[in-house]
Amino acid sequence: MSPNPAPGTPQPGDHAPIDGAQGARRRGVTVRGLTKAFGSRPVLAPLDLDVDAGSIVSVIGPSGCGKTTLVRMLAGLERTDAGSITLHGLDPQAARQAKQIAVVPQQPGLLPWRTVEANARLLLDVRPTASPTGADDHLALLHEVGLGDVLGHHPHQLSGGMQQRVALVRALALHAPLLVLDEPFAALDEITRADMRVLLTRLVEGRSATVLLVTHSIPEAVALGDRVLVMSPRPARVVADIPVDLARPRSATLDDDPAFVALCSRVRHALHGSSGGATR
Amino acid sequence: MSTERRSTRLVAPLAGVAAFLLVWEAVVRVGEVRPFVLRAPSRIFGYVLDHPADFAAAAWVTAQHALLGSAAALVVALGLGALLAASRLLEHAAAPVLTLLQVTPFVAYIASVVLWLGPGTRPAVFLVGVVCLPGFTFAAVDGMRSADPAARELLRSVNAGRLEVLWRLRLPSALPSLFTSARYHVGLALIAAYLVEGGNFADEGLGAIGRRAVALNEGDALWAAIVVMALLGMLGLLAISAARRSTLHWHASQRT
Repeated sequence: MSPNPAPGTPQPGDHAPIDGAQGARRRGVTVRGLTKAFGSRPVLAPLDLDVDAGSIVSVIGPSGCGKTTLVRMLAGLERTDAGSITLHGLDPQAARQAKQIAVVPQQPGLLPWRTVEANARLLLDVRPTASPTGADDHLALLHEVGLGDVLGHHPHQLSGGMQQRVALVRALALHAPLLVLDEPFAALDEITRADMRVLLTRLVEGRSATVLLVTHSIPEAVALGDRVLVMSPRPARVVADIPVDLARPRSATLDDDPAFVALCSRVRHALHGSSGGATR
Repeated sequence: MSTERRSTRLVAPLAGVAAFLLVWEAVVRVGEVRPFVLRAPSRIFGYVLDHPADFAAAAWVTAQHALLGSAAALVVALGLGALLAASRLLEHAAAPVLTLLQVTPFVAYIASVVLWLGPGTRPAVFLVGVVCLPGFTFAAVDGMRSADPAARELLRSVNAGRLEVLWRLRLPSALPSLFTSARYHVGLALIAAYLVEGGNFADEGLGAIGRRAVALNEGDALWAAIVVMALLGMLGLLAISAARRSTLHWHASQRT
């Protein structure tokens, strides 16, 4: 995986299946001329975006700038007004059909009548024959995120952080080539949030999935991403595309790394330059 | 929960009922209330115990009518509820009809139902079903609509079909409101069964005993039928509470 893939123009053969060639540039997500308006209010300015397969991209921007709308369109949950989206060679509807997109929503959305284990299995249980191959390690994942002792518990018996860990496992267990996280830790307290960031880094670094992380938090965006895309206020466009060339695997002590601090400051300046306001 | 609190929870309601019956008995005896105004509970229970087989058989018939009718209403309400929850247009079209059904006093058309369906079980089950249907349907629609939006989006993200969303998300989400509705409909279902039994010429069920008692001016038999009806209602509520506790252990209502 190249640590700081720059956006490029699509080339023939980009949508070919992953061939495993070392360092080959493969297209994970391609967005061309994407626009969206709610009524007469434009949410997205025409937006172009290229994400290499297997890379992790953080999307950060002021509140209400259209980040969530963007990821919802990428996940095929929101209609586009114009433009095209290609996810590993498929349009979002086809990708959804093939269970190629795993979503971690802002609210965990756990089913209260299902146990932790059954919740983690939910996306596998839906249309099971369409699940990507190898998608049956939810138990191992639950143990890995420290929920091995509460497999039979119900969501109301868990803390917020534990609930969001179940939601994370539920998405990862699908082994979809595209993982979309929409401010997954927004509802958590600061300390839990920092722990979750470390956990998520560990979990996604070992995978070949293309990851899109929408976040409000600058440290989160930098710590996780190979790139940080900074969005403008509505109508959203990308005002800065900041490569994060920090070595992987990234450690939990990243916060003290001068390079990390410098990158956070760079993102902050890009954000404030665009919004003039403060973000978390 | 400690065993002490568990036993308290069992004993307290029984003590409440016992106190109520004692006060009732005392009022009738001390106040020398005339029997055609109010009978002492000892006299009513005495009458039931003098005719145990009759009342047991009649109670069984009435319970069956109420159970079959409300079960049929539940099945129809779940299907109808799924349709109405999926379409605002259908809901708006169906709501006035269901409301009409709910507010029309069913006593007014019992005779028509009996003439149409003949004597016996059929009119009783039908009317119980009609009486329960609107409430069950409204509860099903509300419950299905209340399904967690985050979970709904999640199921959409893997392209879950309508039936799968219904089965995995909407039906379980409707359980709490359905249980609440079921509690309210125990009494209604029993009353509907009782009244049809009284008017359907089949001479079966508590309703038939009650009607005969009225015709023959037998106060003891009438009061006995009423008391057995009340006991049936309590049994129904107990059964629903037990089912609710075991089915909805995950719901907030069960955790306070």
